[in-house]
Amino acid sequence: MSDELIPKVKQMIIDALRIEGMSPDEIDDDAPLFGEGLGLDSIDALQLVVAMEKDFGVVVPDAATGSKVFASVRAMAAYIAEHRQ
Amino acid sequence: MLWIFPGQPLHRESPLPDDDDFLAIARLCRERCGYDLVSHQALSAHGLSPHTMLQVYGVAMSLYRSRKLRHDGLHPDLIAEHSLGVYAALAACDSIGEGDALELVCRIGSSMAGMGQRQPYALGCPIGIDRGVVEQAAAEAGVFVANYNTSGHFLLAGVATGIEAALAACQAAGAFSVSQFPCEAPLHTPLMAELAGELAAIVADYCFQEPAIPLLEHIGQTRLSAAIIPAFLVTELQQPVYWEQTWQTVRTIGFNRCIEVGSGQALTKFNRWIDSEVCR
Repeated sequence: MSDELIPKVKQMIIDALRIEGMSPDEIDDDAPLFGEGLGLDSIDALQLVVAMEKDFGVVVPDAATGSKVFASVRAMAAYIAEHRQ
Repeated sequence: MLWIFPGQPLHRESPLPDDDDFLAIARLCRERCGYDLVSHQALSAHGLSPHTMLQVYGVAMSLYRSRKLRHDGLHPDLIAEHSLGVYAALAACDSIGEGDALELVCRIGSSMAGMGQRQPYALGCPIGIDRGVVEQAAAEAGVFVANYNTSGHFLLAGVATGIEAALAACQAAGAFSVSQFPCEAPLHTPLMAELAGELAAIVADYCFQEPAIPLLEHIGQTRLSAAIIPAFLVTELQQPVYWEQTWQTVRTIGFNRCIEVGSGQALTKFNRWIDSEVCR
């Protein structure tokens, strides 16, 4: 169920963070988004929080939740599948 | 095209470049600051504080990137700066030389380092919370908002215990995240007034030429002239950085092509956030 969301989540990341020259296929489903993976930071995290609420109606309330949700694209998709209306 | 010069980085990049431009800047760092850009160590027995070295590093990387851009045939029509970025920005618009920019930030950084020996200061970064809440939390804790970066990204500065209290209040009020960093001086706060005379004496040792390229400052978004640059370098440390207004001003002027000239991409990410709010 949540795996079906993965391509949409990847596109959301690319759009929200305005990542130029990268296609959704280039983002690993399971790679960490922060630190070594895509190298995102707390500014990016807040941008993704807003995008998730706008695109999927899902709220990430705080950084502690965010650290789990943004662990990978797959984790984001799972969280969205679990929490969206 | 707009060039934007970021403030102090939180950490060094890795790996460092090793081309001729980088080596030239590294040589200037050694000669003018007693700082080895490659090993990130002070050369003199007196040493430089870790924060001062990071400040010199930040300016050095901006100077290096400026050189690279010019060698690639890119030239700015307008320059904007955030905090520490002003020193490299002054060099980029030919108001001072690269060596003077490095030496100036090194001397000012060393002067500010003394404040941290008398009192523990800190910076705090609340993210994802409204400006009014941050200002109230800061006021109640006796600290100051030092950077208004976006509608949801702020930097606080002040006494460490006050920063801790302000961040706790922001967290309780619903901030998405809060983080605290040690620092040697409460940059961009009125507390810096105690150092104003000392800093003015340092700045007076340098001769500032009229900027060859318009340079937009981060407080009132006006264009700096040679006559006001010395006073600005002292007073800007006592006032907040208003980056959101600076970027909005740039947009109003009509600039769409922008390059961040320095270490990291913080300003580019702030700008992305500010632009996205226009679309929301």
